[in-house]
Amino acid sequence: MAVSRRVQLSLVSIFLLVIFGEGIAQALIELGRGERPQALDLFTRTPNAANLRAYETEMEKTAWSAKALRPVMQYARYAGYGDLGEKALIGRDGWLFYRPGVTFLLEPWPQTAATPMPQEDPLEAIVAFRDALAERGIALLVVPAPGKPSVYPERLSGRVARTRTDVHGPTRTFMERLGEAGVSYVDLFTLYREARIADPDAQLYLARDTHWSPAGLRMAASAVADRIRAEGWVAEGAVVYEEKVVTIQRQGDVLRMVDTPRIAAEFELERVDCQQIIETATGEPYHDDPASPVLVLGDSFLRIYERDEPGSAGFIAHLAREMKQSMASIVSDGGASTLVRQELQRKPELLRGKKLVIWEFVERDLRFGMEGWKLVSLPNTETVAAS
Amino acid sequence: MVFTSHIFIFYFLPLTLLVYYLLPVPRNFFLLVMSYIFYGWWNPWFASLMLFASYVNYVCGHVIATSPVGSARRKRALVASVVISLTTLGFFKYFMFFENNLNAMLGVLGAGALPVIQITLPIGISFFIFQSLSYPIDVYRGDSPPVRNFFDFACFVALFPQLIAGPIVRYNTIAEQLVQRDHTMEKFASGAALFMLGFAKKILLANQMGGPADAVFAAESPAMLDAWFGVVAYAFQIYFDFSAYSDMAIGLGRMFGFEFPRNFNAPYLSDSITDFWRRWHISLSTFLRDYLYIPLGGNRHGERRTYINLTIVMLLGGLWHGANWTFVIWGAFHGLLLAFERWRGKESVYSRLPRPLRVGITFVLVLFSWVLFRAVDIHAATAYFKAMFGLASASGGSVLLDSILYTRGNLIVMALCAALAICGTQAHDWVARLTMPRVVLLLGLFVLALMTMFVQAFNPFLYFQF
Repeated sequence: MAVSRRVQLSLVSIFLLVIFGEGIAQALIELGRGERPQALDLFTRTPNAANLRAYETEMEKTAWSAKALRPVMQYARYAGYGDLGEKALIGRDGWLFYRPGVTFLLEPWPQTAATPMPQEDPLEAIVAFRDALAERGIALLVVPAPGKPSVYPERLSGRVARTRTDVHGPTRTFMERLGEAGVSYVDLFTLYREARIADPDAQLYLARDTHWSPAGLRMAASAVADRIRAEGWVAEGAVVYEEKVVTIQRQGDVLRMVDTPRIAAEFELERVDCQQIIETATGEPYHDDPASPVLVLGDSFLRIYERDEPGSAGFIAHLAREMKQSMASIVSDGGASTLVRQELQRKPELLRGKKLVIWEFVERDLRFGMEGWKLVSLPNTETVAAS
Repeated sequence: MVFTSHIFIFYFLPLTLLVYYLLPVPRNFFLLVMSYIFYGWWNPWFASLMLFASYVNYVCGHVIATSPVGSARRKRALVASVVISLTTLGFFKYFMFFENNLNAMLGVLGAGALPVIQITLPIGISFFIFQSLSYPIDVYRGDSPPVRNFFDFACFVALFPQLIAGPIVRYNTIAEQLVQRDHTMEKFASGAALFMLGFAKKILLANQMGGPADAVFAAESPAMLDAWFGVVAYAFQIYFDFSAYSDMAIGLGRMFGFEFPRNFNAPYLSDSITDFWRRWHISLSTFLRDYLYIPLGGNRHGERRTYINLTIVMLLGGLWHGANWTFVIWGAFHGLLLAFERWRGKESVYSRLPRPLRVGITFVLVLFSWVLFRAVDIHAATAYFKAMFGLASASGGSVLLDSILYTRGNLIVMALCAALAICGTQAHDWVARLTMPRVVLLLGLFVLALMTMFVQAFNPFLYFQF
């Protein structure tokens, strides 16, 4: 009986120590920093569902135990289970994938009649935008960027490596809908597939990043430029650009999202040879010109190498080199579905003198785009003229 | 609030325990207040609905208790409590289902659809409505004495350890405990042990199995192997999720001096569907037996009526889980199998096979029912069955499923789940014989689960939706 009592006491005391210890330690840490214990914030807000959720989330995020133990546990799960958490998936040969990009390909989209679309229809927003631009004499060219799993499915799944199945049905269906609605678009999926057939080892995307490689973006810029020339929307300019090779080393945004330095340390930095675009006349790296007849809207696919290091080596710079003129641009990470148009609405001067808008968005944003696909009106003509 | 959340484990629970044990009296009132905070944390407005259900059934129970046996007043009070409780449940849980089906029928007839009123489903409504309804029925039958005051009754309905997802505690089970219950170190220790074990089961097993199950059930066209893997993962997810909740609920109950009935007894070791329902969600099956099957006549009116009663009970049991035709078919599937086994003298058609085969076949039958239970609609369930039987091949992005399913983590945890399900050791029995090595193991699992909780996304219990 004595042993049993000792066992019970040990269990109860350690259990109580664990559940009481966290809150007491957190309060002591905060008091030690001269702050009011965050737990008391509960009494400073109206107790409604939203405030209670926010309070709970903040408590969890700022807890000392979570901060200290999350990286340890994340690494343990990686080492034991090969699990990179909610945002990333481990592929083959050291390739990493962004999980929502894979989810987009796995799940039915658009929804069936039985389970209707839970958000705004992207096609509706695109057609409305196209029509609004057309009223101002501006053409629209849509560029859905393939997600990495669409281009390199065999780096994720051994089964695809054997069957060579086409995995990007949802986007292909969407592009067909774009075509039926008379929206001009560039099909990078076919372009990349053909490039990979010609050279199976062609590295069009980075291994540990969600984005395209310099080779991939150059191919995209070239295809877009070809389309612009073919349609005659904008004539080529006369600015001469040249390329300068700059080598950078990238950890990759997938590892950044995992946010565990010890895991990141297990992967080598990826060496990337970028082609920075230099204006021959000035010797300066490429820069945007808001007065350009071409406005490029898009997400982080436009940001990479352009606004990140080495700078002036991204899609926009390469398109400028192809078209021999500067571009205007609005870039928003993850915000190509709605945020870029909302920013355009706030910057009416960017529409002045435009002949063409190029709208890039990554395919997964058809479903997961930040803020969905809201209808956004263009700034009125008077505002543009006045500005 | 969710048991497996930072706020519950590190703030709500310690604070509640501390004040509860410091208070000489009235502890039930304090538990009532904390239970309403626990429930209202999700949405404070939902608490008013629980208060309404508690008050109606308390008043009806009081009228029944103070009226002469056999009087019309007594019957009227019982009918009122049943009608009001079931109407409340029906409105919040089934009104949208009714509207959607009405619109579907109007569509077939070529008429325009009516606007659908969106109703938010308060979590745990099925549980607290059933529990509060059990009181006037028990008092009417003379199975329980009337409660001494409203606060005790409201405390019974709202008692946070088992409020959201059971076990469904009937009033007559807990009536005496509301007045007098023991608080001992032994009881507290076994409660803490059960709570920790349940916590570990939920975080380390159920949540891990939820990933592959969700992925396959959401996929457009899974391959045959993936479909089987997905439904087995779901079978483990729902078992370790729901039984974890029950363990935690019973454990918490013990910490506050209560003794709740156990809800599971190694269900995947069942060798027939009849056996399965003796081992799965025991508190629901006994509730349905005592409050529905027996009042319908049970087995007292001949064989044919017995089969019909069994099927009706399981159909309604299915519908209790959710307002969707998939749940109705799930209930019918079980009801028909139960009726069939009853016809054979409570034996399955494969009862002469060796036990491992009987258990295996029963498990596969249960897997089929889980497809109905988990699929979002009948169309999805049909597509899933086609995939399981190889009648549809993987296409498009679904071929990528292997990268999500057959990871080291999923395979290890699935093997662990299978081993635990097969060995059949139940949490109750395991914590009943606590030894120092077991305590060390328990505490280790608890700490590991707490650390894992920090890297998991919000993952509420599956039965919250019911």
